[in-house]
Amino acid sequence: MRKFIVMFLLVFLGIFLYFNLSYLPAEKMISNNVSQHYINSGVKETGSFNLVTAILFDYRAFDSLGESTIIFAAVSGIVLILSRKTLPVSSHGLTFIVKRTLGLLTPFIFLFSIYLMTHGHLSPGGGFQGGVILATISIIFCIVYGSEFDQKKFSPQTKTKLETGGALLFILMGILGVIFENGFLDNLNLFNGEPGSLISAGNIPVINLGIGLKVGAGLAIIFYSMIQKTFGEETDH
Amino acid sequence: MIIIEYLLMFFLILTAFMAVFFTEELISIIFLSILSMVLTALYLINQAPDVALAEVVIGTGLNTAIFMSAISQVREGEDCHCKEDD
Repeated sequence: MRKFIVMFLLVFLGIFLYFNLSYLPAEKMISNNVSQHYINSGVKETGSFNLVTAILFDYRAFDSLGESTIIFAAVSGIVLILSRKTLPVSSHGLTFIVKRTLGLLTPFIFLFSIYLMTHGHLSPGGGFQGGVILATISIIFCIVYGSEFDQKKFSPQTKTKLETGGALLFILMGILGVIFENGFLDNLNLFNGEPGSLISAGNIPVINLGIGLKVGAGLAIIFYSMIQKTFGEETDH
Repeated sequence: MIIIEYLLMFFLILTAFMAVFFTEELISIIFLSILSMVLTALYLINQAPDVALAEVVIGTGLNTAIFMSAISQVREGEDCHCKEDD
Protein backbone atom coordinates (compact mmCIF):
# COMPACT_ATOMS: atom_id res chain seq x y z
CA MET A 1 0.00 0.00 0.00
CA ARG A 2 2.77 2.40 0.99
CA LYS A 3 4.80 1.47 -2.10
CA PHE A 4 1.72 2.16 -4.24
CA ILE A 5 1.29 5.63 -2.72
CA VAL A 6 4.98 6.44 -3.28
CA MET A 7 4.82 5.29 -6.89
CA PHE A 8 1.65 7.33 -7.51
CA LEU A 9 3.30 10.42 -6.05
CA LEU A 10 6.40 9.95 -8.20
CA VAL A 11 4.37 9.54 -11.39
CA PHE A 12 2.33 12.61 -10.47
CA LEU A 13 5.53 14.60 -9.84
CA GLY A 14 6.96 13.45 -13.18
CA ILE A 15 3.86 14.54 -15.13
CA PHE A 16 3.84 17.86 -13.27
CA LEU A 17 7.49 18.55 -14.05
CA TYR A 18 6.95 17.60 -17.69
CA PHE A 19 4.13 20.11 -18.04
CA ASN A 20 6.22 22.79 -16.37
CA LEU A 21 9.11 22.16 -18.76
CA SER A 22 6.81 22.12 -21.78
CA TYR A 23 5.73 25.69 -20.97
CA LEU A 24 9.30 26.94 -21.54
CA PRO A 25 9.70 28.83 -24.79
CA ALA A 26 11.63 26.53 -27.04
CA GLU A 27 14.11 28.65 -28.96
CA LYS A 28 13.51 32.22 -27.90
CA MET A 29 15.12 32.28 -24.47
CA ILE A 30 18.09 30.12 -25.23
CA SER A 31 19.52 31.43 -28.48
CA ASN A 32 18.98 35.06 -27.71
CA ASN A 33 22.19 37.07 -27.69
CA VAL A 34 24.77 35.69 -25.31
CA SER A 35 25.40 32.27 -26.80
CA GLN A 36 25.60 33.74 -30.29
CA HIS A 37 28.18 36.23 -29.02
CA TYR A 38 30.22 33.42 -27.43
CA ILE A 39 30.18 31.35 -30.61
CA ASN A 40 31.03 34.24 -32.91
CA SER A 41 33.76 36.05 -30.99
CA GLY A 42 34.87 33.59 -28.30
CA VAL A 43 38.07 32.54 -30.07
CA LYS A 44 38.95 36.13 -30.91
CA GLU A 45 38.42 37.42 -27.37
CA THR A 46 39.97 34.60 -25.34
CA GLY A 47 42.26 32.76 -27.78
CA SER A 48 40.99 29.37 -26.63
CA PHE A 49 39.65 26.92 -29.19
CA ASN A 50 37.60 24.95 -26.68
CA LEU A 51 34.63 27.24 -26.07
CA VAL A 52 33.52 25.34 -22.97
CA THR A 53 36.86 26.06 -21.31
CA ALA A 54 36.67 29.66 -22.51
CA ILE A 55 33.29 30.10 -20.82
CA LEU A 56 34.32 28.22 -17.66
CA PHE A 57 37.64 29.94 -17.04
CA ASP A 58 37.31 33.31 -18.73
CA TYR A 59 33.74 34.57 -19.03
CA ARG A 60 32.46 32.74 -15.95
CA ALA A 61 35.71 32.30 -14.02
CA PHE A 62 34.19 33.67 -10.85
CA ASP A 63 31.68 30.79 -10.82
CA SER A 64 34.57 28.32 -11.14
CA LEU A 65 36.20 29.96 -8.12
CA GLY A 66 32.97 29.39 -6.21
CA GLU A 67 32.89 25.73 -7.27
CA SER A 68 36.43 25.15 -6.05
CA THR A 69 35.47 26.81 -2.77
CA ILE A 70 32.62 24.27 -2.46
CA ILE A 71 35.09 21.41 -2.99
CA PHE A 72 37.37 22.92 -0.34
CA ALA A 73 34.46 23.09 2.12
CA ALA A 74 33.51 19.46 1.38
CA VAL A 75 37.09 18.25 1.92
CA SER A 76 37.35 20.19 5.17
CA GLY A 77 34.11 18.76 6.51
CA ILE A 78 34.86 15.16 5.58
CA VAL A 79 38.37 15.30 7.02
CA LEU A 80 37.03 16.90 10.20
CA ILE A 81 34.50 14.09 10.67
CA LEU A 82 36.53 11.09 9.53
CA SER A 83 40.14 11.66 10.53
CA ARG A 84 40.10 10.57 14.12
CA LYS A 85 42.84 8.01 13.52
CA THR A 86 45.99 9.71 12.26
CA LEU A 87 48.30 6.67 12.13
CA PRO A 88 49.05 5.27 8.65
CA VAL A 89 47.39 1.86 8.69
CA SER A 90 47.80 -0.42 5.73
CA SER A 91 46.12 -3.22 3.93
CA HIS A 92 48.21 -5.89 2.27
CA GLY A 93 47.11 -4.85 -1.19
CA LEU A 94 46.14 -7.13 -4.04
CA THR A 95 48.10 -9.90 -5.73
CA PHE A 96 51.42 -9.65 -7.59
CA ILE A 97 49.79 -9.70 -11.05
CA VAL A 98 47.56 -6.72 -10.34
CA LYS A 99 50.48 -4.81 -8.82
CA ARG A 100 52.73 -5.35 -11.87
CA THR A 101 49.97 -4.55 -14.39
CA LEU A 102 48.99 -1.33 -12.68
CA GLY A 103 52.67 -0.47 -12.24
CA LEU A 104 52.91 -0.48 -16.03
CA LEU A 105 49.61 1.39 -16.51
CA THR A 106 49.84 4.12 -13.89
CA PRO A 107 52.45 6.34 -15.67
CA PHE A 108 50.20 6.52 -18.71
CA ILE A 109 47.21 7.48 -16.57
CA PHE A 110 49.36 10.25 -15.05
CA LEU A 111 50.42 11.39 -18.54
CA PHE A 112 46.78 11.49 -19.66
CA SER A 113 45.77 13.61 -16.70
CA ILE A 114 48.63 16.06 -17.34
CA TYR A 115 47.59 16.19 -21.01
CA LEU A 116 43.98 16.98 -20.07
CA MET A 117 45.10 19.76 -17.75
CA THR A 118 47.57 21.47 -20.07
CA HIS A 119 45.57 21.09 -23.29
CA GLY A 120 42.28 22.21 -21.77
CA HIS A 121 42.07 25.23 -24.08
CA LEU A 122 42.66 23.18 -27.24
CA SER A 123 40.86 19.86 -26.88
CA PRO A 124 37.99 18.47 -24.77
CA GLY A 125 38.78 18.20 -21.12
CA GLY A 126 40.12 20.71 -18.67
CA GLY A 127 41.33 21.17 -15.15
CA PHE A 128 38.47 19.43 -13.40
CA GLN A 129 38.60 16.20 -15.42
CA GLY A 130 42.40 16.02 -15.24
CA GLY A 131 42.27 16.58 -11.52
CA VAL A 132 39.82 13.74 -10.96
CA ILE A 133 42.11 11.42 -12.95
CA LEU A 134 44.98 12.49 -10.67
CA ALA A 135 42.82 11.51 -7.70
CA THR A 136 42.19 8.15 -9.40
CA ILE A 137 45.94 7.47 -9.29
CA SER A 138 45.90 7.98 -5.53
CA ILE A 139 42.88 5.64 -5.27
CA ILE A 140 44.79 2.98 -7.26
CA PHE A 141 47.72 3.31 -4.85
CA CYS A 142 45.38 2.92 -1.87
CA ILE A 143 43.52 -0.13 -3.16
CA VAL A 144 46.22 -2.03 -5.04
CA TYR A 145 49.37 -1.30 -3.08
CA GLY A 146 47.86 -0.63 0.33
CA SER A 147 47.30 2.72 1.95
CA GLU A 148 50.72 2.69 3.58
CA PHE A 149 52.32 2.94 0.13
CA ASP A 150 50.12 5.90 -0.71
CA GLN A 151 51.01 7.50 2.59
CA LYS A 152 54.72 7.06 1.83
CA LYS A 153 54.52 8.40 -1.73
CA PHE A 154 52.17 11.32 -1.15
CA SER A 155 51.69 12.05 2.51
CA PRO A 156 48.54 13.95 3.55
CA GLN A 157 50.70 16.99 4.25
CA THR A 158 51.90 16.98 0.60
CA LYS A 159 48.30 16.67 -0.60
CA THR A 160 47.22 19.57 1.59
CA LYS A 161 50.08 21.69 0.23
CA LEU A 162 49.12 20.81 -3.37
CA GLU A 163 45.49 21.68 -2.77
CA THR A 164 46.30 25.01 -1.13
CA GLY A 165 48.84 25.77 -3.87
CA GLY A 166 46.26 25.19 -6.59
CA ALA A 167 43.72 27.46 -4.93
CA LEU A 168 46.35 30.15 -4.34
CA LEU A 169 47.43 29.95 -8.01
CA PHE A 170 43.83 30.58 -9.07
CA ILE A 171 43.46 33.59 -6.75
CA LEU A 172 46.91 34.90 -7.77
CA MET A 173 45.78 34.88 -11.40
CA GLY A 174 42.70 36.85 -10.37
CA ILE A 175 44.77 39.46 -8.53
CA LEU A 176 47.17 39.73 -11.49
CA GLY A 177 44.08 40.46 -13.58
CA VAL A 178 43.27 43.35 -11.22
CA ILE A 179 46.82 44.72 -11.54
CA PHE A 180 47.49 44.34 -15.28
CA GLU A 181 44.01 44.30 -16.80
CA ASN A 182 40.56 45.65 -16.07
CA GLY A 183 39.24 43.49 -13.25
CA PHE A 184 39.34 40.40 -11.09
CA LEU A 185 40.09 37.21 -13.13
CA ASP A 186 40.32 39.17 -16.37
CA ASN A 187 42.29 37.38 -19.08
CA LEU A 188 45.97 38.35 -19.12
CA ASN A 189 47.80 39.40 -22.26
CA LEU A 190 51.21 38.32 -20.97
CA PHE A 191 51.81 35.11 -22.92
CA ASN A 192 49.47 35.27 -25.83
CA GLY A 193 50.57 33.13 -28.74
CA GLU A 194 48.83 32.14 -31.92
CA PRO A 195 45.37 30.69 -31.08
CA GLY A 196 45.71 26.93 -31.38
CA SER A 197 49.27 26.65 -30.09
CA LEU A 198 50.07 25.27 -26.66
CA ILE A 199 51.16 28.55 -25.04
CA SER A 200 48.22 30.77 -25.83
CA ALA A 201 44.88 31.89 -24.42
CA GLY A 202 46.34 34.11 -21.69
CA ASN A 203 45.96 32.66 -18.20
CA ILE A 204 43.47 29.89 -19.03
CA PRO A 205 46.11 27.06 -18.99
CA VAL A 206 47.51 28.30 -15.68
CA ILE A 207 44.04 28.36 -14.10
CA ASN A 208 43.43 24.88 -15.52
CA LEU A 209 46.60 23.62 -13.86
CA GLY A 210 45.65 25.20 -10.52
CA ILE A 211 42.11 23.77 -10.60
CA GLY A 212 43.48 20.35 -11.55
CA LEU A 213 45.95 20.23 -8.66
CA LYS A 214 43.30 21.46 -6.26
CA VAL A 215 40.56 19.02 -7.30
CA GLY A 216 42.92 16.05 -7.53
CA ALA A 217 44.50 16.61 -4.14
CA GLY A 218 41.13 17.31 -2.52
CA LEU A 219 39.43 14.16 -3.79
CA ALA A 220 42.51 12.09 -2.89
CA ILE A 221 42.33 13.46 0.66
CA ILE A 222 38.63 12.50 0.83
CA PHE A 223 39.30 8.93 -0.31
CA TYR A 224 42.36 8.52 1.91
CA SER A 225 40.51 9.66 5.01
CA MET A 226 37.61 7.32 4.19
CA ILE A 227 39.74 4.23 3.60
CA GLN A 228 42.06 4.70 6.61
CA LYS A 229 39.72 3.43 9.28
CA THR A 230 38.35 0.54 7.20
CA PHE A 231 41.67 -1.12 6.57
CA GLY A 232 42.77 -0.54 10.16
CA GLU A 233 39.83 -2.55 11.46
CA GLU A 234 40.44 -5.28 8.92
CA THR A 235 44.02 -5.82 10.06
CA ASP A 236 42.96 -5.85 13.70
CA HIS A 237 40.93 -9.05 13.28
CA MET B 1 22.13 6.66 -35.30
CA ILE B 2 18.69 7.51 -33.90
CA ILE B 3 18.05 3.80 -33.24
CA ILE B 4 21.23 3.59 -31.16
CA GLU B 5 20.14 6.66 -29.23
CA TYR B 6 16.73 5.20 -28.40
CA LEU B 7 18.34 1.91 -27.42
CA LEU B 8 20.76 3.70 -25.09
CA MET B 9 17.90 5.65 -23.52
CA PHE B 10 16.06 2.38 -22.89
CA PHE B 11 19.14 0.92 -21.23
CA LEU B 12 19.51 4.11 -19.16
CA ILE B 13 16.01 3.73 -17.72
CA LEU B 14 16.53 -0.01 -17.24
CA THR B 15 19.78 0.41 -15.30
CA ALA B 16 18.27 3.19 -13.20
CA PHE B 17 15.36 0.90 -12.20
CA MET B 18 17.81 -1.93 -11.48
CA ALA B 19 19.92 0.33 -9.27
CA VAL B 20 16.86 1.33 -7.27
CA PHE B 21 15.14 -2.05 -6.96
CA PHE B 22 18.07 -4.26 -5.87
CA THR B 23 18.37 -4.45 -2.11
CA GLU B 24 22.01 -5.61 -2.23
CA GLU B 25 24.11 -2.42 -2.16
CA LEU B 26 27.01 -3.82 -4.18
CA ILE B 27 24.82 -4.64 -7.18
CA SER B 28 23.25 -1.18 -6.95
CA ILE B 29 26.69 0.43 -7.12
CA ILE B 30 27.66 -1.64 -10.16
CA PHE B 31 24.42 -0.69 -11.90
CA LEU B 32 25.06 2.99 -11.11
CA SER B 33 28.46 2.69 -12.76
CA ILE B 34 26.87 1.04 -15.83
CA LEU B 35 24.33 3.89 -15.88
CA SER B 36 27.05 6.48 -16.10
CA MET B 37 28.76 4.54 -18.90
CA VAL B 38 25.50 4.60 -20.89
CA LEU B 39 25.08 8.29 -20.09
CA THR B 40 28.62 8.92 -21.39
CA ALA B 41 27.73 7.28 -24.70
CA LEU B 42 24.62 9.46 -24.92
CA TYR B 43 26.66 12.61 -24.27
CA LEU B 44 29.14 11.58 -26.97
CA ILE B 45 26.33 11.01 -29.49
CA ASN B 46 24.91 14.45 -28.69
CA GLN B 47 28.37 16.02 -29.20
CA ALA B 48 29.26 17.11 -25.67
CA PRO B 49 32.76 15.65 -25.13
CA ASP B 50 33.57 17.83 -22.11
CA VAL B 51 30.57 16.64 -20.15
CA ALA B 52 31.20 13.08 -21.33
CA LEU B 53 34.75 13.16 -19.91
CA ALA B 54 33.56 14.54 -16.59
CA GLU B 55 30.77 11.97 -16.41
CA VAL B 56 32.95 8.95 -17.17
CA VAL B 57 35.68 10.02 -14.76
CA ILE B 58 33.43 10.93 -11.85
CA GLY B 59 30.53 8.52 -12.36
CA THR B 60 32.49 5.42 -13.24
CA GLY B 61 35.76 5.93 -11.42
CA LEU B 62 35.42 8.08 -8.37
CA ASN B 63 31.81 7.40 -7.38
CA THR B 64 32.31 3.64 -7.45
CA ALA B 65 35.45 3.80 -5.32
CA ILE B 66 33.94 6.13 -2.73
CA PHE B 67 30.66 4.18 -2.53
CA MET B 68 32.58 0.91 -2.17
CA SER B 69 34.66 2.24 0.72
CA ALA B 70 31.52 3.64 2.38
CA ILE B 71 29.72 0.29 2.01
CA SER B 72 32.68 -1.61 3.44
CA GLN B 73 32.73 0.75 6.44
CA VAL B 74 29.02 0.19 7.05
CA ARG B 75 29.48 -3.59 6.90
CA GLU B 76 32.41 -3.45 9.33
CA GLY B 77 30.20 -1.60 11.77
CA GLU B 78 27.44 -4.20 11.40
CA ASP B 79 29.83 -7.10 12.03
CA CYS B 80 31.40 -6.01 15.30
CA HIS B 81 29.43 -3.93 17.75
CA CYS B 82 31.90 -4.53 20.51
CA LYS B 83 35.02 -2.72 19.34
CA GLU B 84 35.04 1.03 19.77
CA ASP B 85 38.63 2.27 19.93
CA ASP B 86 39.19 5.87 20.98
